[in-house]
Amino acid sequence: MQNLIAFIKRIRYFIVFFVFQFFALSTYVSFMSAPKSSYFTTASYITGTLFEIRHSITQHFLLGENNVALQKENIELRKSSSLFLYNNESSSSRVIDSSFAQQYEYIPGIIINSTTMKRNNFFTLNIGNIQGVKKGMGVFSSNGVVGIVHNTSKHFSVVKSVLTKNINIDVLLTEIGTSGMLKWSGESPNIGYIAGISNDIKIPTGSKVVTRGGSGIFPRGIEVGVVKKTNTIEGEASWHIDIAFSQKYAALENIYVVKNLFLDEFNTVQNK
Amino acid sequence: MSQLQIYFLRLLLFLFLQSFIFNQLEISPSIHVIIAPLYLFLLPFDRSIISLLLIALVLGVSIDATSNTFGLHTSSLLLFAYLRPVVFRVFSPRDGYDSLKSPSIFDMGNRWFISTFSILLLSHHLWFFTLEAFSLNETMLILQKTILSGVISFVVCVILQTIFIKRAG
Repeated sequence: MQNLIAFIKRIRYFIVFFVFQFFALSTYVSFMSAPKSSYFTTASYITGTLFEIRHSITQHFLLGENNVALQKENIELRKSSSLFLYNNESSSSRVIDSSFAQQYEYIPGIIINSTTMKRNNFFTLNIGNIQGVKKGMGVFSSNGVVGIVHNTSKHFSVVKSVLTKNINIDVLLTEIGTSGMLKWSGESPNIGYIAGISNDIKIPTGSKVVTRGGSGIFPRGIEVGVVKKTNTIEGEASWHIDIAFSQKYAALENIYVVKNLFLDEFNTVQNK
Repeated sequence: MSQLQIYFLRLLLFLFLQSFIFNQLEISPSIHVIIAPLYLFLLPFDRSIISLLLIALVLGVSIDATSNTFGLHTSSLLLFAYLRPVVFRVFSPRDGYDSLKSPSIFDMGNRWFISTFSILLLSHHLWFFTLEAFSLNETMLILQKTILSGVISFVVCVILQTIFIKRAG
C-alpha cells in the first residue's frame, strides 16, 4: 500500500498532465467530427462578439473586391429575370408559372472571421439560429462553393470550409458527366483536388467543376472551379485531379446559406 | 505593479497577439507563427509543474476559443509546460538557477536561451502540426511546417522579448 502511494506521488505530475491532455485531445477529436456545443469555438457569444468588433474595423479592406463580385452577380441575375428582358409577345398578361416550385431558400450572411492557410480552416458567420441556420447546411458565395455549417449558436455560426481535411463535397464534371469527391491537400488555398474518378475516363484540362447536389446540401450546379491537372496515383485506378477554385477564399465576405425545403422528404426517401 | 499583475497583463497581451494578429497573419500555408509558448517559458523558475499545467490549460483554451482549433493549442501548450522543467534540468547551470532571474534571453544569455527554447519550441510545433494533420501520409508537409514555422516563431519570440521584456540591470 505504501509503495503504491509512493508510486502515485512520484508520477503525480504525469497524472495531472495526462488528465489535462486527455481533456484537450478528446475535445479536439469530438469537435472535429461532430461538435455538440458551441463553447470554445468562435460561435460562442464572447468570441463571436469580439470578432464582430474586429470585423467592423477591417471590413472595408476588401470592400472594392467584394463590390465587384456582387455587381457581377447582379448583372447575371438581371440578365435572366423576365423583368429586364424584351417581351416578344404582344399581350402583356402575366403568366403565373406553376411548372417550377421553390426548393431552396438562401439566407444571406457575412464572414466575420476566417483563416485560409491552416490545415483546417473554419469561417465564422454573423448569422445563427435566429436566422434559421442549422448544422449541416451548405454555404456558397457568388463565385463558388464555400463549405458546410459545422456548429451554430444563437447569433453566430461556424462553417467548415472547403479548405478542410475531410470536407468531401460531391462534385460533378459538367462536360463529362462523372462525379467525384472534392478534397483539399492543405498545400495552397487556391487548389483543391477531386478523388474517386476512374482513370479510364479522359479528363480535359479546363473542364468546369460544379456541385452535384447529391446529398441535398447544395443545389446542383454551384461553381467549384476548373480542372488544372490530372495526376495518376500509383497502385490505384482513380485520378488525382487538381482543380483551381473559382473563389479566392482569402478575400471572401458575402455568402449565402442554403436551406433545402425538401430535405426531410429527401432523407426519408433515401433511407427507405 | 506587482509581479502577479505583470504576469496577468502579459497573459492578456500574448492572448491578443496570438489570436488576433499571428493567427490571422497568413503568409504561406507552411508558416504559422505561434508565440504563446513564450509566455509559459518566461514564467519564473520556481513555478511548480502543476501551476504551469494549469496556466497552459487556461491559455490554450482561450486561444482555441478564438481560432476554431478545439483543443489543438491546449494540447501542445500542455506538452510544452510538461517538458519545460525537464529541459531546464538538463541545461541547468552548475549552481542551479538563481530564483531572482527570469528565463529571458537577457537574464540567462544567448546560448542557454537558444538551446532550451529551440528544443521546447520544436517539440511543441511538431506535436501541434502532427495533430493538426492527423495522418501519417503528410509527414513531409508536417516536417516542412515544423521547421519553417519553428524558425520564424523563434525569431519573432526573440523580437518580442526585446520589445516587451525589461532588460535586467
